Amino acid sequence: MIRLEKVSKSFDGGRSYAVMELSLRVNTGETLVLLGSSGCGKTTTLKMINRLIEPTEGRIELGGENIMKLDPVKLRRRIGYVFQGIGLFPHMTVEENVGLVPRLSGESVRDGKANAQELLEMVGLTAKTFADRFPEELSGGQQQRVGVARALADNPEYLLMDEPFGALDAVNRESLQQELLSLKRKLKKTIVFVTHDIFEALLLGDRIAILHEGRLEQIGPKREILTAPATPFVKNLISKPARQLADIQGMF
Amino acid sequence: MPAEPLQTFLVERLPELWLRTGEHLMLTGVSSATAMLIGIPVGILLFRRPWLRKAAMGAIGIIQTIPSLAMLAFLLALLHRIGALPAIIALTLYALLPIVRNTITGLEGVSPQIMEAAKGIGMTKGQRLRMVRMPLAAPVVVAGIRTAAVLGVGIATLSAFIGAGGLGQFINRGLALSNTRLILLGAIPAALLALLIDFTIGAFEWGLAPERRRAKKGSLLRMLRSASQVMPFLLILAIIAVWVSGAGIRNRESLPGVCGGTVVVGAKNFTEQLILGELMAQVIENRTQLKVERRFNLGGTMICHTALLNGEIDLYAEYTGTGLNAILEEPVISDPETALRYVRRVYHERFGIGWLNPFGFNNTYAITVRQDQAREHGWHKISDLKEDENDLRAGFTAEFSERTDGYPGLSRAYGLRFMEVNDLEPSMMYKAMANGEVDVICAFATDGRIEAYQLKPLQDDREFFPPYYAAPVIREKCLEKNVDLEKALLSLGGLLDDEAMQRLNFQVDGKGLSAAKAVNAFLKSKEFI
Repeated sequence: MIRLEKVSKSFDGGRSYAVMELSLRVNTGETLVLLGSSGCGKTTTLKMINRLIEPTEGRIELGGENIMKLDPVKLRRRIGYVFQGIGLFPHMTVEENVGLVPRLSGESVRDGKANAQELLEMVGLTAKTFADRFPEELSGGQQQRVGVARALADNPEYLLMDEPFGALDAVNRESLQQELLSLKRKLKKTIVFVTHDIFEALLLGDRIAILHEGRLEQIGPKREILTAPATPFVKNLISKPARQLADIQGMF
Repeated sequence: MPAEPLQTFLVERLPELWLRTGEHLMLTGVSSATAMLIGIPVGILLFRRPWLRKAAMGAIGIIQTIPSLAMLAFLLALLHRIGALPAIIALTLYALLPIVRNTITGLEGVSPQIMEAAKGIGMTKGQRLRMVRMPLAAPVVVAGIRTAAVLGVGIATLSAFIGAGGLGQFINRGLALSNTRLILLGAIPAALLALLIDFTIGAFEWGLAPERRRAKKGSLLRMLRSASQVMPFLLILAIIAVWVSGAGIRNRESLPGVCGGTVVVGAKNFTEQLILGELMAQVIENRTQLKVERRFNLGGTMICHTALLNGEIDLYAEYTGTGLNAILEEPVISDPETALRYVRRVYHERFGIGWLNPFGFNNTYAITVRQDQAREHGWHKISDLKEDENDLRAGFTAEFSERTDGYPGLSRAYGLRFMEVNDLEPSMMYKAMANGEVDVICAFATDGRIEAYQLKPLQDDREFFPPYYAAPVIREKCLEKNVDLEKALLSLGGLLDDEAMQRLNFQVDGKGLSAAKAVNAFLKSKEFI
C-alpha cells in the first residue's frame, strides 16, 4: 500500500507549487492511474514516491513506513520504475540491462541471466534473439518491453510507470497495453501508472486519480469517474472524447 | 655534408637509436600513465564540484601555455637535478590538460535521462559513476589520453636538453653539428612513434564504441574489435621491452658506480664542447682503467654546472670567462692567469670542484676581417681599424651588438665607430663576410669557419675581451679516488692552441666528421694513443 498525505512540492521555494496538498492511497494489488494534462504534477507525484524528487511538505508511506526514513537506494530497489524516455543503458546488452537490478542487490551473474531470459519471454521478446542486442538496435516498442522487464527484474512489490507507452505508435501501444493487462493479472503488483490519455487510463486503471494544476480533482473507480464527475474539470475531461467523436461525425 | 655512406651511418647508430627510442617511449609512457592516474580522478572530482572547476581548469591551462623549454629549465632549477625526473614531471604536467578536460566533457556528456534512470532503479552514487557514467564517458576520456600521449612524444624530444635522453638527443646533436642526417635520425623515429601511439590508442577508442560490441562472434569485425582492445597492452609491453633492452645496451658500455669504475663526462650542446668532451673521454679511456659514460649535449652552462654539483656528471670542459661571469657572477678579469687563479680558488672553496690546466686556446670574441683585406691595409690589431672606421661595415650577432662586453664596450675601449652595424644570425654572418657584404665580424676565436673562409682574427691589444680559456672542471672526489685520472687529464694541458682548436672545429662543422673520429685522428697525430 502506498499512501500520500497532504503532499506538496514547490521547485521555487514556495512561490508556486507543482503539487499541492495531495492525499491519496494506492491499495495493495491495485492499479491507480494518475491522469492529467502535461504540467499537472503527475510525474512529480510519481517521482516523489521513490524519492527521485523529495516532497516539500507532507508524508508518503510505503507499506506503512515513512519513505523519508528509508535509505533511498534500498527504497528504489523495492520499486520497479518504467521511465518515460525508456532509460535503457546504451552500453549494456538487453540481457545486461534487465539483469542489472538483481546484480545490484548482490545476485550472481548466472542467476541474473536465467532470470533475465525468463523476464524477456514474459514481456513478449524471444530471449534467444534479443538477449545479446544493444538497445539502439531495437524498435521503440521493443525497447519499452525491455524497460518493463527491467522494472520487474528484482520482483518488486510496487511498480511505477511514467507514461511508458506515450512515444509509441498506435499499434505497438495497444499491444503493450494488452501485455500489461495480462501481466497485471498474473503478477498482482501494486501499480501507479501515469498517463495523459483517458482511454489508456480507463483501460488499465482499477481506480483513476485526476490531477489539474497540482491539485487532485477526483479519485475513484473508473465507473464512478464516468458516472459522477465531481468537478466541472472532470466533467469536461470525460466528455471530451464523446464531443470529439461527434465533431468528426458531423464532418461527413 | 657527411662523408660516410647512409648505410654505414645507420648501422653504426642502430644500437643508440634503439636505446634512445626506449628512453623516449619510457618518458612518454610513464608521463602519460601518471597523467592518467592523476587526471582522471581530478576530472571526476572537478565534475562533482563545479565551483572548483573554473579555477582548476584555469591553472591547468596556464601550465599548458608555459613554453616547454622554460618549463624544463624551471623544473631543473626547482629540483636541482638533470635527467628523467624533471622531464617526466614536465611531460606529466602537459598531459594533464587534455585528460582532465576530456574526462569532464565526457562525464558531462552523458544524458541526464540515463542518469535519472540509473538513480531510479536504485544505483548508489558510486555505482552510477562506475557502471553508467564512466563507461559512457570512456570514449571521450580515451580520446583525451590519445591527445596527451601524442603531444607527449613531441615534447619529449626536448627532454634531451636536460640529459633525459630520448630521440631529442639526435636532434640536439644534429642541430649543434649542423648535421641533417642526425636531426632526421631523431625526428623521423619520433614522428613514427607519434603515429604508432596515435594509431594504437585510436584503435582502442574505435573498439570501445558500443556498436562494435554487437559484431557477431567469429566475424572479422569481432576479431578486429578484440585485437583493438589488446593493443594498448601490447604497446605497454613493447615500451618496457624496448626500454629494458635499450638500457641493456647502455649498461654494457658503462658499469654502475660514478667515480668508481666509471666516470661520467658531460658536454654542452655545441661543436667545440662535443670535441672537448670526446677528447677527455678518449684520453681517460686510453690512459686509465676507468670506463667512461658520455652525457653530451646538455642544454647550457647552468645545466652542466648543476649536474656536476649533483654528481650526475663528473667532469666537463668550462671556460674561465663563463665560470667567472655566468656561474660566480663576478665582473670581468682581463688577465688570463688571474682569472684562472680566481675561479680555481672559489670553485675549490665553494663547490669542491677543481679546475685543471687549460687546453691552451682562448675561445673569446675575436674581431675578425678577411685575410686579403688585412694584408692590403696592414691590419694586425683591433686599434688598426680606427683609421678606416668610416668605411667599414660590421656584421655582428644580435647578442654581441647588445652585450656590454660586446660592441658597446668595444666601441668605448677602442673609440671605434663603424660606418654601419648589421645584426646577423651567426652562419649568415660568415656568408656575408665571404660575399664581401660586410668587412668586420665578431667571431669566436676558435671557430672552424675562420680557417674555412680565410679570415684573420685581430689581436685584442687593449685586452678588452675577457679570457675564455677552456679547462676540465672535475669533482675533487673523483680525483682523490683515481690518481691516473688527474694525470691523464693534466697531459691535455696546453695541447690545443687557437689554430688547433679551429681545425678540429672545422673538421666537424665543415667536413662533417663525427667528433669522436676527429678527436681520435688528432690524438693519434699527437701520438697520444
